[in-house]
Order: sequence, then C-alpha cells, then structure tokens
Amino acid sequence: MSGRRILAIFRRVAQEIRRDHRSVALLLVVPIVMTGLITFIVREGQTPVVEAVVVNRAGLPGVVVADALRAALEKDGGTATVVADEATARRAIEDGTASVALFLPAGLAQAGPTTLTILTDGLDPFGEAAQASAVQRAILSAVASLTGRALPTIEHTTLYGTPTDDPIAPFAPAILGFLAYFFVYILTGVSFLRERTGGTLERLMATPVTRGEVVAGYALGFGAFATVQVVLLLAWGLGSVSVPAVGPLPPFSVGLGLPIAGSPLLAFLVILLASLGAVSLGIFLSTFARTELQVVQFIPVVIVPQFLLSGILFPVSGLPDILQPFVGLMPITYAVDGLRQVLVAGAGLATPALQLDLGVLAALAVLFAGVAALTIRREVA
Amino acid sequence: MTTQTAPPGRQTLEAPPAIRATGLVKAFGPIRAVDDVSFELRPGRIYGLLGPNGSGKTTLIRLLTGMARPTRGRAEVLGVTMPARAVLARIGYMTQSDGIYPGLTVGENARFFAAAYGVRGTEGVRDALHLVDLDGRLDTVAGTLSGGQRRRLSLACALVHRPPVLFLDEPTVGIDPLLRAEFWAHFRALAEGGATIVVSSHVMDEADRCDELLFIRSGKVIARGTGAEVRARAGTDDLEEAFLRLGSDVEATR
Repeated sequence: MSGRRILAIFRRVAQEIRRDHRSVALLLVVPIVMTGLITFIVREGQTPVVEAVVVNRAGLPGVVVADALRAALEKDGGTATVVADEATARRAIEDGTASVALFLPAGLAQAGPTTLTILTDGLDPFGEAAQASAVQRAILSAVASLTGRALPTIEHTTLYGTPTDDPIAPFAPAILGFLAYFFVYILTGVSFLRERTGGTLERLMATPVTRGEVVAGYALGFGAFATVQVVLLLAWGLGSVSVPAVGPLPPFSVGLGLPIAGSPLLAFLVILLASLGAVSLGIFLSTFARTELQVVQFIPVVIVPQFLLSGILFPVSGLPDILQPFVGLMPITYAVDGLRQVLVAGAGLATPALQLDLGVLAALAVLFAGVAALTIRREVA
Repeated sequence: MTTQTAPPGRQTLEAPPAIRATGLVKAFGPIRAVDDVSFELRPGRIYGLLGPNGSGKTTLIRLLTGMARPTRGRAEVLGVTMPARAVLARIGYMTQSDGIYPGLTVGENARFFAAAYGVRGTEGVRDALHLVDLDGRLDTVAGTLSGGQRRRLSLACALVHRPPVLFLDEPTVGIDPLLRAEFWAHFRALAEGGATIVVSSHVMDEADRCDELLFIRSGKVIARGTGAEVRARAGTDDLEEAFLRLGSDVEATR
C-alpha cells in the first residue's frame, strides 16, 4: 500500500465528483428534499374525514345510537347520514358520496357482545383502516355519551422520552441512514462501472497501483463525500433555525428540529461506517453490470430488500418469522438500529447494543472492501 | 520508404532483448488466442504487430504487459518474467480505448497517471504533454476534447513515466492522416532515445514505418522481418498481398 498512490486515487475521485454537478446535487440536495418531504407528510398529515352512511336495522335504539354517532363524528369534521337500506348505502360508497357505510344490527339493544359491520370500497387499505379506527373512536365516544360513563384515556410515555406526538422522531434516524447508504451506493457503482467500461481500470492496472490501493482510494473519495452529505443531513435533521418574516414571506424554520438524545458525533460515525460499506458494495456490484442502467437495475435486488427488512418502515418485530433471519443479514439493519440507539435512546459507546452495531458495520465495510478488491481482476496482485 | 529504419538487427544483437516471449500460449477454453509464440525484441526499435481483428494482437500485448497470465510459456520484459508489478513502472501501455477520465482536465489526467506510476516531480508530465502538443490545454476537461486530442492525451498518459518499453494497442485507429504522421514521428523519436516500442495495427500502410514486422494470424507469428524481407519472402511488393499469401501458407499447413 502506498499512501501517495491512494491519495492520488482519492484526489482523482474527488475531482471527478466535484465537476459532476448532477451527482453533487443528488448527494446533497435530494436527501434534504426527501427527508423534508417525508417529515412534512408524517407530521402534517391530515386525519381522515369520515363521511358515513348509516343503515339502521335496530329500530328505535338504533336511532339513538345513530344520533350519538353523528354528534361524535361531526366533532371531528365528519358526517353521518341515515339511509333507508343496504342497496342505497352500497351505491353511496360506489359513487363516492360516502367513505364508510355502517350497519347497526337488529339486536343492538340486547345484552351481550354486539358486532357492527362497516363497508368500504377496499381500494385504499391504509386510508380505510384509518377510517375504520375513526369510526371505532366515534362509536366508543357515542357509547360513552349514551351511558354517561366517561371512557378511560390512554397517556403514552416512552422509556427514552421520545415524544409520542411527533411521529417522525423514531422514524427519521432510519431515513437518514438509508438515504446516505443508498446514494453512496449508486454513485460509487456508476463511477466504478465507468472505470471498468471506459478502459481506465485496465490502464490503471497496467501501472504499479494495487487493487487494495484502488479500493482504499475509492473509499476515501466517496467516504469524504459521504461525510459532507452526512454532516449536512444531520445538521438539517437535528437543527432548527427560525427565519423571521421577511416582506411578504411568513416566518418559517429551516431544519427538521428532530429531538435527539445522544451524540450527533456518534450518529455520524454510524452513518459513515455504513457508507463505507456502500462504497465497497458499489465497486463489487459494478462487476456484474455492463451499463449504468444495470447498476440502477440492482436497486430492487440490493436496496429494496434492505429497505423492507431493516425496520425502516416495517418494525422488525412485526416481520414474519421466516424473514427474521434475513434481518440480521442486512447491513442497513445495523445502521438503522445504531442510529436509533444514538438518536432516540441516547446510547453511548458503552452501550452493548451500539457496540454490536458499530462492530458489525465496521466488519462489513472491511469484508466488502476485500471482496471488492477481489473483483478487480489482474494477474499482478 | 524504408530509408528511416534503424540499423539492421544484426548490429544490435549485443544489446540484451527488452522483450522476450518463449513458447507463449493463451487459451480461452478450446480457442488459442495466442498459440506458441516465441520472439525477442530489442531496444531502440519499433516493432509492428500486424494482423486482422481477432488475430490475437491485443491478447499478446496483454500477456507481455502482465495483464493476463499465459496458459503456457513465458513472457519477459526487461529481464523479468511477467506478470510482475514492479516492472509495470517501466512499461508504457496505450490501450485501444482512450482510457482517460473524461471528467478530469488534461493536466489532472496526466498527473494522475504519473502518480499511479509513482513518478515524483512534474517534468515527465510536462514533457509528455508537450510532446503531444497539449501543454496549452492543461485546464481543458478531457471530455470536451476532440477525438484526436483525446487520443493524444491517451498517448501522453502512457509516456508520463518515460518508460523504456512501450506497448501501443492500435494507437492510430480513428485518427486523421496528419495526426497519424505526428504520432509516428513521436514513436520514432522515442525509439531513437532507446525505447522498445511495440505497435499493433491492422492498417498495412503503417507497416513500413516500423523497423520490423510481426505478422499475426490465428494467434501465431506467421512471418517476421523488415518490410522488404517480408515482401521478398512473399514474392510481392504489396504488403497486404504478402500478408494474405503468407497467411494462406499457414492455413494450408495447419
């Protein structure tokens, strides 16, 4: 290993990225826009408005229930209209004038458990699940008002003090880690593919440069850009700068202002280790690609499973048993967990769970780097 | 046309060969891309590897530069058996594709390869870029150069470390006659400085600019000698015709 040659490759990579304005924009601007958008959607998302039609098969008791239900729904901006029969209710769902149809069964007033049936069109599972739970809440509130007994309310607190009213807080660390990993992979993969197809790798291998030096130079080059990206992302995610009203513009704040419990420096370390793994992964996979399009085609194979199985979107505990072993195989799992440990749970270097995450990420980075070096073919080591 | 050739081979026999192939074979499955090739090439001369596309010229160069390992036989450069990383610092290799970084400037490209070859100081870079007349365009991004300029930069990148042995894989493909003449003048100047130069080509009209020709057909060296010698052996004045006649002999005896 020659430091000068590694440095030369590092400089080469840096010069090339710097001139590639589209890549710079991709690395620096896109993650900010994406996290901003995700945060905005999660934080400011609207609660569904329930527009219910009610079919009353319970006679007089049903009228009372329907009235109480209407009152509860209207409190949240919804409506409830009683219609004559099921056919009318179905038509209302079909033509979109109602979002939910609610059937009050004949035995409503009798003692014992009661089942209310609701009907939706089934085209928008998440939205309709939200509708169903809104109806459930309205029914509880209606029952409470009819019986005159207030229902218990639930107050949710967390071990590490994560605010439960800010849904993005536990979610954001995962997004930060994933984006850094994803963009570094894409850029390295494409860049190294160009090296392979443009004849420069062949030429480079005709110099005394070793394969290890190539991988080290690449890791340094893209690691440096990952660093810039991560610093910017963390500043954006954790910071919150209020900008006062200027002229016609209303006051707004820059940055997501995510609450953090641990050290931003440790969070940075986690993302950096993950990004180094992504550099090697990009080099490795560029072996199997012939064109830049094929590097992109690897995304469903390499990135999507990691996205699904690392607990970013779907909690790991909720995954089917058969998929559980794969969770541990996904590098992003450790990045996501490490970031949650640091940012949410406030873990420090003494925390075993974080030590495991950092250790696995470092080991994977080294392992992938070795494999990547092996994919650079030359007869002279 | 052969007036500018260096002294005939006999007079340089005392100098040790810069490149030596001994029973060199490279097989890809059942196909022998290089088939039992032996020769010695001496310093200060330009050798032309002539042969049609797919005849094994590039594979032969890859064996000699240590980019591929021979199935059998031995390739030596400057007395060292290839592949050997240490010798690479003394070999210049201009690939068929330009092999330059389009996102880097002319100067950055040359300096990068100089650093890869372990060159200290900037003289080699300056001289190489001056030789190909690109020293006025140091800050031009390589991707915006014309095809001929890119080819020139590619040559410069193979020269930054002043290699005593130079492999040029079809260096003049796709460039205009004027630049081609320029390139050959460079090659001649380098050879006169003592370099061993191996140029592959499938253009027969470049053959007479070489000191010696090696005709390659189906991975074999079917003829070797100066242009005049090869013509005499084939009994024709036309090199292209000579190549065809000598080649058919080989095909017939196979």
